[in-house]
Amino acid sequence: MTVWQDSRAMPRTRRIAFSVYGYLFFFLGTAVTAILAREGRVVLVLLGTLLFAGVFHSQALKLLRDRKIWAFIVPTLLLSPLVIGEPDLEIWGLHLSRAGFWAGVWMALRALCIALAASVFARAVSVSQMAELLEGMRLKGLGFALGVATNMLPTIQETMQTSYQAIRLRGGFRSGRLRTLRLLLVTVIAGSLRRGDDIVSAAEARAFDPARSLGSSISVTHADLALAAAFGALAVALLLV
Amino acid sequence: MKFSVRDLVYIAIFGAIWGAVELTLGSYLHVIFPPLADTFLVGMIMASLGVIVALVGRHFVPRTGAVFMIGVVAAILKMIGIGGVTVGPMVAILAESLLMELGLLIARKHTRWGFVLAGALALAWNFFHKFIMMFFLFGKGVYEVYAGMVKQGASLLRIDLSYALLIIVFLLLIRLVAGGLAGWIAWDLGRVVHDRLAR
Repeated sequence: MTVWQDSRAMPRTRRIAFSVYGYLFFFLGTAVTAILAREGRVVLVLLGTLLFAGVFHSQALKLLRDRKIWAFIVPTLLLSPLVIGEPDLEIWGLHLSRAGFWAGVWMALRALCIALAASVFARAVSVSQMAELLEGMRLKGLGFALGVATNMLPTIQETMQTSYQAIRLRGGFRSGRLRTLRLLLVTVIAGSLRRGDDIVSAAEARAFDPARSLGSSISVTHADLALAAAFGALAVALLLV
Repeated sequence: MKFSVRDLVYIAIFGAIWGAVELTLGSYLHVIFPPLADTFLVGMIMASLGVIVALVGRHFVPRTGAVFMIGVVAAILKMIGIGGVTVGPMVAILAESLLMELGLLIARKHTRWGFVLAGALALAWNFFHKFIMMFFLFGKGVYEVYAGMVKQGASLLRIDLSYALLIIVFLLLIRLVAGGLAGWIAWDLGRVVHDRLAR
């Protein structure tokens, strides 16, 4: 099964089809090579990751606009010259270390590589493909459970909100908040389980049997193998050079 | 791991409840508190709620692997939820569910103390989570940053470095106690829900 989610990338990449395994290889390969790459070599890994993301899943580049990722990276960049290495520079009365500054830069770039690769994997692989992948790893029935959970999620969220409002309007959170919270949880869980019984009846009426699950239909493509081989070669090169 | 249709539906429901809690309360708390405070407060609150939901689920699906499956469902729902791709919470959910499973395996029997052990183990992950995630993301250099911060913080507050280490141990202990408490609550809650459904 191939994965095409980014319509803008389709015309350029029609000949290269990665399966879920391809995206998994990409994520794991990027993480391993980013960890193995010392100092400036991490720039090459980042460029490769950006190129892959740009060509095959440009939506993943939205991560760079996410403030949360910068909230982790900027403090590391700012603190490293202050706390890593021997101070050899003074700016505005601050004793800074050049070695610490560069250590911070390499750490930040490595973090960006891994976060970007994770973003590509998470955006390229759909829930059903993820379920198939996990079913292939002996988690039988997970696809069915995930389907039920996805359908139940909006109902559960609505039940949570309705129950919360009902309890709040009756003054439930004015005193004995922990007891009220417990009551809320019991209400949500009991209500959901009652609905669950209907789903069980419906599934059994259709003679659904998790033991007869078809398993994974995802197969490794040539592009996946080429990608895995490229990452393997890169990892070996980083270890040797 | 072989589950019946009923088991799978219950796993789906508890996974969806955990996912819903993560998607609503989790996202809300992550917005209110800055990222660096996450480990100490938001992470602990979310992990405790997750432990309660997953262990109540174990009451209804008393099979090995059920808690892990609940965790997998919750993690995938978290992945597809609004608020973008968040690798950290996904890893935390999976690790916590695995540790709960380990705790239940060690306890062997379906007892309250088994739940307490499972909860404590799961919350212990919450302490190491940020250090491990930071190691994977930034490399071992990040430990130098943390060590430097602890040293500078101790000298700034004019306290001995050993007190700073004591605070770190104390933070771990808080998590173990909170996890144990979550397991204890889950045991009671499971019985209450059971009774209510039997009515």
